[in-house]
Amino acid sequence: MRIVFCGVGAIGSQAAVLCRNLAASLVFIDFDRVESKNLLAQAYVKPSVGKNKAEALKLQFLNLHGVKTESFGVRVTRDNVEALCGSADLLVDCFDNQDSRVLLSEFARRAGKPLLHGAVSADGTFGLVRWDERFTPDAEETVGQATCEGGAHLPLLGLLAATLARSVQDFARHGNRRDALVNLSSVMPTSGV
Amino acid sequence: MATLNITYDGMSADVPVALERPVTDDDVRRIATELVRSGGVPGMHLSGLSHETFRYFVVDRFRGPRGEERIYLRPKVPFGAR
Repeated sequence: MRIVFCGVGAIGSQAAVLCRNLAASLVFIDFDRVESKNLLAQAYVKPSVGKNKAEALKLQFLNLHGVKTESFGVRVTRDNVEALCGSADLLVDCFDNQDSRVLLSEFARRAGKPLLHGAVSADGTFGLVRWDERFTPDAEETVGQATCEGGAHLPLLGLLAATLARSVQDFARHGNRRDALVNLSSVMPTSGV
Repeated sequence: MATLNITYDGMSADVPVALERPVTDDDVRRIATELVRSGGVPGMHLSGLSHETFRYFVVDRFRGPRGEERIYLRPKVPFGAR
């Protein structure tokens, strides 16, 4: 099984780390670079600062866990989504913007690819794990609304990443498609139970 | 009896609510505002809460594992985190 993580920031990087024991090829896609501020809320270590996130995560998997992965340090666009995601058996959306989520969703539906979304609210207090057939991004209140910065609620991000990884694992092993709501007090399965 | 979960300002709590009829999303927002203002939500007593606070919040409705009604009032999830 080939699992492609689209976006390896706070949610994607931590969820990927929790998928490292799966019998699967893990692929990371992200155009962004690791900044010092990312070290407190994302799965990156100090020597990775300045590196492309996808490449840095690949190196960390190899050096820290002995796991080989693949990386693509590019932005997903309409022109390259087929080349990047066409061979995936599972797509995991951890992007930080709605346009990329919609682009990936359109591709997945067109190509018949399973797609799992993980997302967190702008204030970092609420998260969602939803399969594409039940996922509709909430409308932005204002265009270009600020994203959640700094991981103020790091335990919630960890809980969300773990819930996302659990859904990936359930799909990889049993074909189940579980959705969940994650808030500061609980993880609530909402579908596929 | 339904369970209303409210996530706001770094807090999250469940509160049982008796609903005698189907309620709209605006009803849920109004009920939640009154509950928080009056101290009816465990750990979330904010008497000065504005009636506009939950204006852009999303209402999700689910059935729990035992068929119970669960209503979530939550912030929007437009993005992942950086």
